[in-house]
Amino acid sequence: MKIGTGDVRHIATLAELEISEAELPSLAADMERIVTFVEQLPDIPVGDRTSVTVGPSALRLREDVVDPVPLARPPEANAPAWRDGFFVVPALDGLGEDE
Amino acid sequence: MMASAVAGLVERLESSAHLNATLAWSHAALEGEAANVRSVGAGPLSSMPIAVKDNIVTTTLPTTCASRILEGYVSPYEATVVTRLRAAGALIACKANLDEFAMGSSTEHSAYGRVHHPLDPDLVPGGSSGGSAALVAADVVPAALGSETGGSVRQPAAFCGIVGIKPTYGRVSRHGLVSFGSSLDCVSPFGRTVDDAARVLEVISGHDPRDVTTHALPPLDASEHLHRLDGITIGLPAEYFPDDLDPGIRAACELGVARLREQGATIRRVSLPHTGAAVPAYYIVNPAEAAANLARYDGVRYGTRQIGDAGDLRALYRATRGRGFGPEVRRRILVGTFALSAGYTDRYYARAQAARRCIIDDFTSVFADGVDLLFTPTTPTTAFRAGEKLADPVQMYLADVFVCPASLAGVPAMSLPLGRSGGLPVGGQLIGPSLGEARMIAVARLLESVLDATAEVR
Repeated sequence: MKIGTGDVRHIATLAELEISEAELPSLAADMERIVTFVEQLPDIPVGDRTSVTVGPSALRLREDVVDPVPLARPPEANAPAWRDGFFVVPALDGLGEDE
Repeated sequence: MMASAVAGLVERLESSAHLNATLAWSHAALEGEAANVRSVGAGPLSSMPIAVKDNIVTTTLPTTCASRILEGYVSPYEATVVTRLRAAGALIACKANLDEFAMGSSTEHSAYGRVHHPLDPDLVPGGSSGGSAALVAADVVPAALGSETGGSVRQPAAFCGIVGIKPTYGRVSRHGLVSFGSSLDCVSPFGRTVDDAARVLEVISGHDPRDVTTHALPPLDASEHLHRLDGITIGLPAEYFPDDLDPGIRAACELGVARLREQGATIRRVSLPHTGAAVPAYYIVNPAEAAANLARYDGVRYGTRQIGDAGDLRALYRATRGRGFGPEVRRRILVGTFALSAGYTDRYYARAQAARRCIIDDFTSVFADGVDLLFTPTTPTTAFRAGEKLADPVQMYLADVFVCPASLAGVPAMSLPLGRSGGLPVGGQLIGPSLGEARMIAVARLLESVLDATAEVR
């Protein structure tokens, strides 16, 4: 399958990844190589084979009791920006005031 | 005694710095570890220093996953496997370098520089758990934790001439292992010997209420010692011995088979017909799961943050992720997003799942047909040169051709050194049925005792 720079730009938007224009051609070439490779998958009739289970066949629920993991440090210790108990982020474009 | 053990470890960590195998260790953290060892007293791993791959969280050292996006991150909680190691008297020696977010087969995709092979600095140690493997192979630590998604412990174990055991999916808790491919990820130990790796696996295994995908089983008992292999059938799958297999790898495997036969094992040729579908299926399932799991790195709650040019929230997401992730991580996120996008899910993801189902059925039927274990090469070549496979991602993916199938099937598998070819270690792989670790390890222990892992084959 042919993958062009426009395809990569679109997929990068879906994946919330900033990609510079200069990087698009080589990423398109890499993706085309990878997608061509995975297309070698044999044509197995999919039928009811879409469900794959590894691990225990029946997942068991925990007792419904509050059992918090004790934290060695509070959330703000790793937060890039924190104020009054909240993570601080820039405003969505066109919404609210400037941060 | 403890003080001199820590001093010895510090000396080994310092003298192995040229390998670039560690991402974090500190004198203060080691003092804390030593105090813990003293308070635990006699435990099954008493005073054993263990390196931990840097995608397993610890509260005492940072966890970066070898990514710029997690630079400076120190976890607020500890992985279940780390808690269990400490309770058994082990000492967390350091955090080990890896391919960024465990994506790679050479440990060249670390944002903090590649890991060098202990026998030749121009070679790669394998990956993604290359730092853990190099530290064990260089005698810095007797054992280490790595993680497997598609062979990331067995492949570097083979390249470095040590033992690596991937347990059954669900045998060991994933709580605190940074999620990559959630239906594939397994914390997996390395050891210089089968015994060292097996002892670590025993300690970290068993049900964990914090990971719903763990089996409701007590810890593994891998203490079985076999004196002979009479009555045990070992299958040799034709698909793992292609005509163009590297002659040194083939010779080492033939030696392994001869030793198994001498010990009384019945050798049977078998077929796992869907083996060829494993790598293509893996490189759809794995990026799809990775794209979903790595959506959490957004620059809001932890990790590094980049303010995008537009200055709004989406620009922050895109700049943080676009600049924080390295090339291989971005490729996988793009491929995974593509394979799950509207119009392509049936063509890629559904077909990959169908192939995975067939691969699982291959293993189930061969084990139901009287085969106790499978024996194969772990890798198609010995350790390759740094840079050799960087230009073509598909060549890098094919380094995992013999290790991917067991990962997709969730069955246990391990690599142990068979001997050397051209001066470099060759690994042999044993694959067992689901939850069949104890027998697999017992056979490996006997095979190890009748092989000279450092001898040139032929």
